[in-house]
Amino acid sequence: MKEYTIDCLGEACPVPLMKTEKKINSIEVGDVLIVQIDHSCAMKNVPEWARTQGYNVEIDEVADGEWEVVIEKTK
Amino acid sequence: MKIIWEKLEKNQYYTAIFKNPFTYVTGAILLSVLQIALLASSGNPWGVSGAFANWGAWIFEAVGGSVDKWFYFSSEGAQNTLKGGFLNDTGSIQNAGIIIGALAATLLASQFKLKKIKSVKQVIAAVLGGLLMGYGARLAFGCNIGALFSGIASLSLSGWVFALALLVGAFIGSKLLAKFFM
Repeated sequence: MKEYTIDCLGEACPVPLMKTEKKINSIEVGDVLIVQIDHSCAMKNVPEWARTQGYNVEIDEVADGEWEVVIEKTK
Repeated sequence: MKIIWEKLEKNQYYTAIFKNPFTYVTGAILLSVLQIALLASSGNPWGVSGAFANWGAWIFEAVGGSVDKWFYFSSEGAQNTLKGGFLNDTGSIQNAGIIIGALAATLLASQFKLKKIKSVKQVIAAVLGGLLMGYGARLAFGCNIGALFSGIASLSLSGWVFALALLVGAFIGSKLLAKFFM
């Protein structure tokens, strides 16, 4: 299991989601992708998209207005 | 103070109302109800970008310019609005409300953050996008609020025409976004 991080701080929607979709295709099943965001709408659309793909998702509020969306590529 | 905050953070009503984002359905219902209230109380459908043109005119006049001869501001109504000033323009007050309300919402959710600028590319795209949107909204006599949302809510065909154009624009925009920002 490998862990990848993409830095989407300072990026507005839909860029974080587009980067997430692109990155998740290049990682192996079982790997974990951490998406760093500070745009509250990405806090909604990134996890929602990942859940519709059937991945495990967790959101951590790491600071005021800053989140890490942790996505486990389960399949 | 810290104890109050820690208590508040765990309060289910606080998290439901101020912290977590509303669902799209909740947002849609609130928007619908509030735009009806706005139309009933002010007599005008909700619009956003029109008032910004007035702000631009006021700033231009403040630095010594004049928009009297501009076609856009040539109607008597537009001239009266400009003469009436900020406090008498309901659209301007609404926009000030949006800005103050958005600031209050992000502060109440404890999510206020000054975001860093990532690249020069981002600045160029933002400025270019802003100019195109502002100019386009004035050509169309409305933005996605005045022309689309209020247009469709007023059962006007123009709202649907605007929606079609918006879809085409969003499609091209997303292609450009993928090309330059991915």
